[in-house]
Amino acid sequence: MPRIARTASTGIGIAVVLALGLTACGSSGGDDVAADKKQTLTVWAMGAEGEKLADVAKVYEKANPNVTVKVTPVGWDVAHQKLVSAAAAGSMPDVAQMGGSYMGEFSELGVLEPVDAKTFQEKDFFPAGWKQGEVDGQAYGVPWYVDTRVLYYRTDLAKKAGITKAPTNWKEMQDLATAYQKKAGTKWGLSIQPSALDTVQNFYPFLYSAGGEIVNAKGDVVINSPEAVKALKEYGSYFSKGLSNKSQPPGYDVVKDFGNGRVPMFFGGPWHVTLLNEGQPQLKGKWAVANVPADKSSVSMAGGSSLVISKDSEHKAAATRFIKYLTDTKGQADWYKRTKDLPANTAAWTSGDLADDPDLQIFKKQMDTAKSSPSLSNWTEITDKVDQAIAKVTQGKASAEDALKTAQSQIEGLVK
Amino acid sequence: MSTTTGKAAESAKVQAGPGTAKSPAAGPKGSPRRRKPSLGMQNMAGWLFSTPFLVLFLVFMAVPIIATLVMSFTDFGLRNVTHPLDANFIGFENYTKLFSDEKFLKSLFNTAYFVVIGVPLTIFLGLIVAVLLNNGIDRARTFFRVGFYAPVVTTIVAVAVVWRFVLDPSDGLVAGLFSEVGLTAPDFLGSEKLAMPSMIAMAVWRNVGTVMVLFIAGLQAIPTEVREAARLDGAGIWQEFRGITIPLLRPTMLYATVITTIGYLNVFEEPFVMTQGGPSDSTLTVSLNMYREGFNFFHMGYASAMAYVLFVVIMGITVLQLRLLKDNTK
Repeated sequence: MPRIARTASTGIGIAVVLALGLTACGSSGGDDVAADKKQTLTVWAMGAEGEKLADVAKVYEKANPNVTVKVTPVGWDVAHQKLVSAAAAGSMPDVAQMGGSYMGEFSELGVLEPVDAKTFQEKDFFPAGWKQGEVDGQAYGVPWYVDTRVLYYRTDLAKKAGITKAPTNWKEMQDLATAYQKKAGTKWGLSIQPSALDTVQNFYPFLYSAGGEIVNAKGDVVINSPEAVKALKEYGSYFSKGLSNKSQPPGYDVVKDFGNGRVPMFFGGPWHVTLLNEGQPQLKGKWAVANVPADKSSVSMAGGSSLVISKDSEHKAAATRFIKYLTDTKGQADWYKRTKDLPANTAAWTSGDLADDPDLQIFKKQMDTAKSSPSLSNWTEITDKVDQAIAKVTQGKASAEDALKTAQSQIEGLVK
Repeated sequence: MSTTTGKAAESAKVQAGPGTAKSPAAGPKGSPRRRKPSLGMQNMAGWLFSTPFLVLFLVFMAVPIIATLVMSFTDFGLRNVTHPLDANFIGFENYTKLFSDEKFLKSLFNTAYFVVIGVPLTIFLGLIVAVLLNNGIDRARTFFRVGFYAPVVTTIVAVAVVWRFVLDPSDGLVAGLFSEVGLTAPDFLGSEKLAMPSMIAMAVWRNVGTVMVLFIAGLQAIPTEVREAARLDGAGIWQEFRGITIPLLRPTMLYATVITTIGYLNVFEEPFVMTQGGPSDSTLTVSLNMYREGFNFFHMGYASAMAYVLFVVIMGITVLQLRLLKDNTK
């Protein structure tokens, strides 16, 4: 029974962080190498981006022979821990990709270099994308790509259920879900996550569309506002009416169930387009994307990644130049071609595929109003409280009012 | 022989610098030419050969264990990752906080539930399977032994895939059986009441093999004469089992119970891969809670305190088990 070792190994993990931390003290940047000197840039990128970025780096090296770009792909599942360990050990790469939710934490750790305001300007990017890289009004990350959630739905099954247009508000969405189940014989009506970590990501389109927020711009906790209660009630009704599955295993793959018709609707990001085209080719022409059905308005969550420079880096000038290359109009259009990641630079949307594809226009429209979450260092912990409130409602254990009242007081204790 | 030992001892002196390992200089220094190395030399060689282990043990076990203890008295959090020395000593605050933390108490309760139901089931089934496989079916014995042991050596991820299929409420194996007789299967992993029993079933299935192997070894150590004598005296199968097998298996049972209990008190993998502690924390165990506090929220001090509470609980229960069960064997 190897579990005996588990407690010990957790302890080891903690101690390693401590031990690494002890060696990190006293390191500092300072000596910066000029951009056109010969040097090597270390870059960490996550998931699919990590692999594709190496190709871009090769192109970049040809144009800038003095710079060698060493890209290390890091899996998303270990990205957070690896970055924290690197921060602790003082061995951050020169340039790193960071998810929006990391920014608060890492700026608190003091390992990020503020963004060079002369080279990068807020007006060039989607507001929500730029906001993500900002902590307390100071930008630390340059938006690299953005993502937002839109509604994916099966058009063929909708036709079978007697509905031919995309749902535009909450009522139409629930009617469609019911019709799918009753008339088209699907197992569920809509796939939304009932509980567990990051459930809140499925809840954002409801919360934001109703005009609610977790923490508002002033820093006040407002998760028990009437708008939030209304949103959670709507979210919970899908479960109480049997339109959504009350249990979803970790690692659930919605694409497969969308393909076999058990799940006719879900909220997905831009990468789902590729996943559906490649993984479920038989579905071609049988699905579409639509903007998030509105309550007050149609507002989705904004996600994406930023590029940051390490405070300890000795290659800041070259790193800035490389990031500029990746985030200017040309670099962004090229990146879209390679990855289908949505450009964070708004000007990149005006040419080629990006300007013509109707599906992409749905994303663009959603992105214009999308909301990003505030960069607080304990954001994971805060959203965990919301996750718990959602779980209570979807499992029928509490009313939306009570669950959010509890979350409100818990989060107030965390924000202060 | 003697020269190699001598050389080893020489190099031991060089390698084992001050503080590495206390050299117990018992005997006088022996010359390498002597046939029989002195006691001191022999000890030196012993220390030399254990050095790799000792170094690894110190670096990867002792230091972290002590560091965790120290950390459990601090408010070590995210910002201390880069500035560890800024963490404040807060005495027993983490520990007192633990016992008013509803989530921790719930995880403690869940773990106790898991152990109280899981351990007896595992031991009982392990024993039954071992007895059956030790006596009954002669031909397919190896096949069945391997069959019961397979779950032990299978990775948890593969196990999770299989069990998700088994428990899936809409088209899983159990759901199929239910619908055969015209019933609707409950949602095992999605229900607060059933999630934990499902976890236990899975853990028992995974661990019966280990216990079975222990019992088979124990059964085979029972001398055949004892059994033959009993049979000559006219003992039936049940009498033989109660009068001979059970008493002689006591030491094995003690060992199996202790390691299973320790394993189950640390349960982490099953809820981690199957439910992430849900729904509504109904499968949140102490280890999983600790992992989340430590690595999701970076409350390292708090997580360390949790680790030590779990450690004390495990030690207490183990000592108690050894006392209770050992006395019975006399």
